[in-house]
Amino acid sequence: MRAGGPHELLGGVFDRDLCIGCGACVSLCPYFKSYKGKTSMLFPCTRSEGRCFAYCPKIEVDLDDISRAMFGEPYAADSLGRYRSVHIARAGKNVGSGTFQAGGTVSGLVMHALKTGSIDAAVLTGRNGLNPVPAVVTDINEVAKHATSTYTAAPTIAMFNRASQEGYERIGIVVTPCQALALAQIRRNPTNEKNYKDRSALVVGLFCTWSLDYRKFRTLIAEHVGVAAVRKFDLPPPPAEIMEVHTDNGIIEIPLPQVRERVPHSCDYCFDMTAEFADVSVGVLEGRTDMNTLIIRTERGEKAVEEAVRDGYITLGELPAENLDHLRAAAGNKKMRAFKKANDEGLINTPPDKNALFRIPKETIKRI
Amino acid sequence: MSYHTDTNEGAEYLLMGNDAIVRGALEAGVSVASAYPGTPSSEIIENLAKASADRNLYVEWSVNEKVALEVSFAASIAGLRAICAMKQNGVNVASDFLLHVALSGTRGGLVLVHCEDPGALSSINEGESRHFAKMNEVPLLEPGDFQEAKDMTKWAFDLSEELRSIVMMRSVTRLSHASGNVKIGRLPVPKTRAFFSYSGPMLDPETGPVLTMPVPPHHALLQEKIRKAAEIFEDSPFNTYTGPARPELMIITCSACSLYCREAVHLLGAEKRTGILKLGTTWPLPPKLIRKYLSSTDTILFAEEVLPFMEENVKVLASEMASDIGIKKFYGKNDGTIPMINELNPDILVEAIKKILSIDYTAVDPAYAAKAKSFVSSMAPVRDLTFCPGCPHRASFWNIHNALAMDARSGFVCGDIGCYTLGFLPCGFNTMKTSHSMGSGIGIACGFGKLTRFGMDQPILAVCGDSTFFHAAIPALVNAIHTKSDVIFVLLDNSGTAMTGFQPHPGTSFDAMGNGVIQIDPAAICRSMGATVEFADPFDIEATQDSLLRLLEEKGARVLIMRQMCALSPEKKGKKKYDVSVDQAICVGENCGCDRLCTRIFRCPGLVWDFERGAAKIDDVICAGCGVCASICPSGAIKKTEASG
Repeated sequence: MRAGGPHELLGGVFDRDLCIGCGACVSLCPYFKSYKGKTSMLFPCTRSEGRCFAYCPKIEVDLDDISRAMFGEPYAADSLGRYRSVHIARAGKNVGSGTFQAGGTVSGLVMHALKTGSIDAAVLTGRNGLNPVPAVVTDINEVAKHATSTYTAAPTIAMFNRASQEGYERIGIVVTPCQALALAQIRRNPTNEKNYKDRSALVVGLFCTWSLDYRKFRTLIAEHVGVAAVRKFDLPPPPAEIMEVHTDNGIIEIPLPQVRERVPHSCDYCFDMTAEFADVSVGVLEGRTDMNTLIIRTERGEKAVEEAVRDGYITLGELPAENLDHLRAAAGNKKMRAFKKANDEGLINTPPDKNALFRIPKETIKRI
Repeated sequence: MSYHTDTNEGAEYLLMGNDAIVRGALEAGVSVASAYPGTPSSEIIENLAKASADRNLYVEWSVNEKVALEVSFAASIAGLRAICAMKQNGVNVASDFLLHVALSGTRGGLVLVHCEDPGALSSINEGESRHFAKMNEVPLLEPGDFQEAKDMTKWAFDLSEELRSIVMMRSVTRLSHASGNVKIGRLPVPKTRAFFSYSGPMLDPETGPVLTMPVPPHHALLQEKIRKAAEIFEDSPFNTYTGPARPELMIITCSACSLYCREAVHLLGAEKRTGILKLGTTWPLPPKLIRKYLSSTDTILFAEEVLPFMEENVKVLASEMASDIGIKKFYGKNDGTIPMINELNPDILVEAIKKILSIDYTAVDPAYAAKAKSFVSSMAPVRDLTFCPGCPHRASFWNIHNALAMDARSGFVCGDIGCYTLGFLPCGFNTMKTSHSMGSGIGIACGFGKLTRFGMDQPILAVCGDSTFFHAAIPALVNAIHTKSDVIFVLLDNSGTAMTGFQPHPGTSFDAMGNGVIQIDPAAICRSMGATVEFADPFDIEATQDSLLRLLEEKGARVLIMRQMCALSPEKKGKKKYDVSVDQAICVGENCGCDRLCTRIFRCPGLVWDFERGAAKIDDVICAGCGVCASICPSGAIKKTEASG
């Protein structure tokens, strides 16, 4: 893989408006800071190689390399990425009641892992108003507070970096697909750090079609309702074309096109709807807002699910074939749109002297 | 024995130009002195304050130059002699009042000393306040050396009383801050009775009310004063000529430039070919004197700093006299012989004179000059203009810079006048983007803050020191609050007029003479105007940045007072709060995760890069012990412990 430094990160990601604010480059050094969904570089750094560049999910992402490091296989020609099994799932009886975005599967998995000690901390993303705020959670009772979708891009990986520095050894983390990709980069120690240790123990990915720019989203919401009154957001399935804003005084509907205008430019290049580099990926089950779709991708993901089922923290069911087809089609559409856009703009598989957004064998694209 | 009180007439002292001016004022029996500090003028008031008890003076640091002139003027029309001092751009501040003082006239001698800074060694402008003399019809004097500075000051009071007009006297850095021998004169018994007579006839200059109205008769009287001044100046001993009766070249010069002219003529051995007419009375020019010397030659060179003030005024006279004295060849600023920026020096004069007189002379061998230049660039260490070790401004700008960078909406800082003006440089992390006159930071920011309707959504901050706040920022802040302008006003309160030497200001509890005075609280002023006021200690990096980030989300005029005393203040200097050290084993240095943040970016002079060990270290000799670097170190390698004492 190509190494690079902050200068190339600025040119290749920030200047192209590709930064999604995942926080992979944050909390490693004094230069990159995240605030209100945006990552900024405070001062110039002169290093020609750095972790900021190596961890970033928006520059020189070699999908075969990453996939080999994680799954022992090249990048899958499958719109859902590499996986072992797909299920429907929901929180089990031992989770208790709470406000979940959907079925509570994520909370169930995280609570169980904390309870059994298979993770010693969970990096979760809560909300302060509309501002997504990542946090390190070690108390099982705190998990539910972070169990709602934020919809705005969050620097969750910055909190993972900080939790690693603070000495947590087995970190569970709930991430969006771009954050999962960043984490996959981090986990293969691309800068060959001495004494590197993979401190992630369970990566739970969330399905994602796009996120929102915090400041723009806040302005939009403020046009409709006092931000303080917002409890949660929801996107009812098509053909609704609205965003539901659940407030203290009932539900407000905002036309989806207005919301989509606030989607960061970077999301247009995202080829991953289902968090392909997580241990397990979770999304809302089509047609059933109280249930989740669950994709198990790795051995340790499989183990986490099995044990959570065994101990009553989640329950599983069989995903109807029709649902899987729809999911695959939606993920495939996103993937193809992103590949086409990136390819049209010359951001894929660039010559070695020019930084690519990502690298993927042409053959694989064809097969997808 | 101090020169302030020495009554031994004829005793000789080595005095700075400003000290000579002080002695001249004391010999004139001055009773009141007022000023706003500004380099190179500040020592005048400081030294008059030292003499205040012995000589029964009232001396004050006024809130700004306009008020200073008003204070001195009051003494004048109450029959006392008064002196008012300021730097060049201070005259701009005082100029509105100056226009009216000229018109109303004065009683006791009133002298305005303006010390100018050609080359802007300690200024952010190269302003020329001589033009105010001409514009406002006020006599102008320019001493040429240290003895003259003393003698001319004393005479200026007599002149002022003879004309019943304020008199301006211009010094420059190389006179105010250089030293020379001065023979002192007699110290009089100062006048002690002040009384303002106002019951006489309207236009009576000694007993009537002091007004500028009715304007036409006052203006006619003023112009009569200027005509009379020109007559007096015809015989002034401060206009001197040295050289042959009919020189090939006549240099007309004034102020410190007269010394450079003498040196240049001497270096070229051109004494027999060149005459030097040194003018001490540069406005109005004495026409007969000028006619006499213009008649003696056909070639004239003007040597003055900065703009061609004297040059153009002489040329007006020369054109009026042309039918009698003939056509002259002029060299000076307008033809490019003498630069119109920066200070002059003997080298510049040598170049000009040798060209005009076709003298073959090499001041410096070019090969030697080239060699010297290469040595200087290769061997002299880089010395940035920077803040002192432990300076609160470094921490303040660090916080502001980081908050604006994190906020990521292209916010910026409008700057003002003080040490913190360096905020536009790397030592202030290039945070400051505008800098103009005193108080203009908040004024400009106020204007920016009203541009939201034109799509401007950049956060706007203004920074201002505590002394500048009182000087000229308050009206602009009133404007910002009144118009609901979206600005953050950051008061960098370092507890004194630090840049010019800790002169007191209205926020301090003592005056120029060391007496207790009423202390004015900036926070209370801002609150009373309806602004929200918050405080932050800039050394508390995290809390200050949090405050800034929060304020950046709010609307309207917000005030944040960053309070931390100047590291050089008498209370703080030499006292370390913390012992600071670097654990070089932990220091990340040039590696990923730091890249020498402390020595490459933060750059307090107390932090040094240890090339041998590849780690930072503390220079214990100059470290002021503020401990801020311990807060910014990303790896915790910089340690601070409470200093033992």
